[in-house]
Amino acid sequence: MTTRELSYAQAIQEAMAIAMEADERVFLMGEDIGVYGGAFQVTGDLVERFGPERVRDTPISELGGAGVAVGAAVTGMRPIFEFQFSDFATLAMEQIVNQAAKMRYMLGGEVSVPVVMRFPAGSGTGAAAQHSQSLEAWFGHVPGLKVIQPATPHDAKGMLLAAIADPDPVMIFEHKLLYKMKGPVPEGHYTVPIGKAEVRRQGSQLTIVATAIMVHKALEAAETLAAEGIDAEVVDLRTIRPMDKDTVIASVKKTSRLLCVYEGVKTLGVGAEVSAMIAESEAFDYLDGPIVRLGGAETPIPYNPELEKAVVPQVPDIVTAARELVSGRR
Amino acid sequence: MPTEVILPKVDMDMATGRISRWFVEEGAAVKKGDVLFEIETDKAAMEIDAPASGTLANVTGREGVDIPVGEAVAWIYAEGETPAKADAAPIPAVPSVPGPAAPPAPAANGAAPAVSASQIEPVGSEPVAGIRATPLARRLARQRNVDLAALDGTGPKGRVQAKDVERAATVAAEARERAPAVVPAAGHTPARGDVEVRARAVGQATAPITRQSSAASTWLRQGEGTPLVLIHGFGSETASWRPLLTAFDRAMPILSIDLPGHGAAVDLPAGGFDDLVAHVESELAAQNIGVAHLAGHSLGGAAAAAVAAGVAVEARSLLLIAPAGLGPEINTGFTEGFAAAHDETALRTWMRELVADPAVLSDGFVNATLRARADGRLPAAQTRLGPLLFSQATQRFSVRGLFERLAMPVKVIAGGADRIIPSRHVQGLPGHVGVHLFAGLGHMPQLEAREAVARLLAEIVR
Repeated sequence: MTTRELSYAQAIQEAMAIAMEADERVFLMGEDIGVYGGAFQVTGDLVERFGPERVRDTPISELGGAGVAVGAAVTGMRPIFEFQFSDFATLAMEQIVNQAAKMRYMLGGEVSVPVVMRFPAGSGTGAAAQHSQSLEAWFGHVPGLKVIQPATPHDAKGMLLAAIADPDPVMIFEHKLLYKMKGPVPEGHYTVPIGKAEVRRQGSQLTIVATAIMVHKALEAAETLAAEGIDAEVVDLRTIRPMDKDTVIASVKKTSRLLCVYEGVKTLGVGAEVSAMIAESEAFDYLDGPIVRLGGAETPIPYNPELEKAVVPQVPDIVTAARELVSGRR
Repeated sequence: MPTEVILPKVDMDMATGRISRWFVEEGAAVKKGDVLFEIETDKAAMEIDAPASGTLANVTGREGVDIPVGEAVAWIYAEGETPAKADAAPIPAVPSVPGPAAPPAPAANGAAPAVSASQIEPVGSEPVAGIRATPLARRLARQRNVDLAALDGTGPKGRVQAKDVERAATVAAEARERAPAVVPAAGHTPARGDVEVRARAVGQATAPITRQSSAASTWLRQGEGTPLVLIHGFGSETASWRPLLTAFDRAMPILSIDLPGHGAAVDLPAGGFDDLVAHVESELAAQNIGVAHLAGHSLGGAAAAAVAAGVAVEARSLLLIAPAGLGPEINTGFTEGFAAAHDETALRTWMRELVADPAVLSDGFVNATLRARADGRLPAAQTRLGPLLFSQATQRFSVRGLFERLAMPVKVIAGGADRIIPSRHVQGLPGHVGVHLFAGLGHMPQLEAREAVARLLAEIVR
């Protein structure tokens, strides 16, 4: 299996194409995903390869589209439903939270809902308050859903293929700034398991648990820290639910310090869960300082590009927090 | 005229100092030049000699509190002088942080003390709960018998951090090395070389007062100094070390730990490799071992490396024999087959896989193994544990990443004809790790080349 450089968006498109080639039950739904190629050009020319029956443009109704996708999944299809922006999930919450997440449970396991929903998420594109949020923690709060946040093209393809094969609803949050990021992606079919974090950088003095775009910021910060003699480990959480506790616990037991970095609003966010999970775990007795969170500011995302940057953690914020934590000043 | 003993200035910028330990108790005779007590500053620990000969009395300088430079901390009365009534109040601490620096040493004989030793004992001790310390610092303090109340934390608002505890433990260890025998004990000065009492008195034991084997730990040899701790491999147990020890003639204390699901610890559950490491650390803590030489075979080698890389114990050296955890492959046919084996044919067949020359497997060795496994408990426990460690021909844990930061002498021994774990896994370790590859040996060099392995062990357990 050879590997080449693909962008994150291309990797997702390739995963969908492979799944559609292999399994005729797999089809795509979403607004402007056909001839237009999708709001972020992720579906691209798939409509030409697979036709409008399998790459279906839906009306501007997230509730309607999500409902049809959930229904199709219950009848045995493998739909992949694209939201133009993850923010519009608000319109489809009934179908996701009350229907897709609960149907297997309420029908005693008689049905499953193998739907995949794709959510372009996050800030940094100047799309303002209603098109820039990071809402993954909302979905992580719902038993019955799986919630993933791949951070690399390799993982985007492998985790999407794992999601398509999964018998339960999987929500995939794709940070919009990652779409153009390139990285090595193997050809052909492979999967990256849901529920398994990845240690992106080994370190001994501090664990930085990060998600999505923050993984890359944390890795950049780790390089700066290394130049100062601070050896940080970076854990890419990859899955919000079910969370890979073992990997994080093992890392914190090794380093004795934990910094959580995530773009969603800090209060009640993904890092809050990681932080509480560690405080309750066997890793507690290994902590040599407070657990620190860096998350989004308690505000809607501003339109002004400077303010937009200021309200989410940036590399220097991570460097400063890590430095204070390791030197015992925090 | 009695001689005043003052707290001297031992550092340029020093306004106050802290007595970390008295080496002579109140009422005892001292000779000019004897080490009286130890001062601890931010930078160093320093021993202070007696300025005169006589009897030490009126000790007012308490351990573990800040005392102004120049303050009298005790008096020495020459022969014929009568000590003043010992009613002097202890010098108040500069910041009032009372607390013991070390537990009182036990009285080793029945002699009544001439003067009560209470003045050199802690005057009240603050409950640990009221102290600002990180969870790790608290855990280390428990394990290394360091009193948190006596420490000045370097973290925000005086929070005690792991490094503060480690520094205190190191100071205690250095004091032990520099002050061989003089320990205040109620009415009794222990004999020179009374290692257990001394170790206890400085607050960080190299060996417990009485070395009592526990359910999962066996003292195979008694002796003085830093103990050697042995950790057996998967499917093995304490008894497997005896052939090697016949060739290892050091009179050092040697402790063997049975891993969960093995030997005497057959009924202890474990959910994976981390649990084995935690078990070893807790056995060491239970034995009050803060400093040790570690040696392990196969799975026990990986556990020893993980323990050495951790903070639970200060490893002075590390010997790994055919260690697991260095690479992905393992012969799970063996681990599964051996784990299940409990009759002679099955056992002999799998044991032959362990060695290059089956002749080294004496009937006695095989029969002892057979007897231990005959009731089925060990096979059942190891069949449960095995797949959590090794399955799909894969080792499910790795310690390879830990070697870079192992600062003690490390030797790795492997057999080139090992049929359980490929010997090539020992390649590519950091340069400071000594690798000894015996081309013709299998997975048990300590059995097949016990003299050579014992010699390599002796080279690092100094």
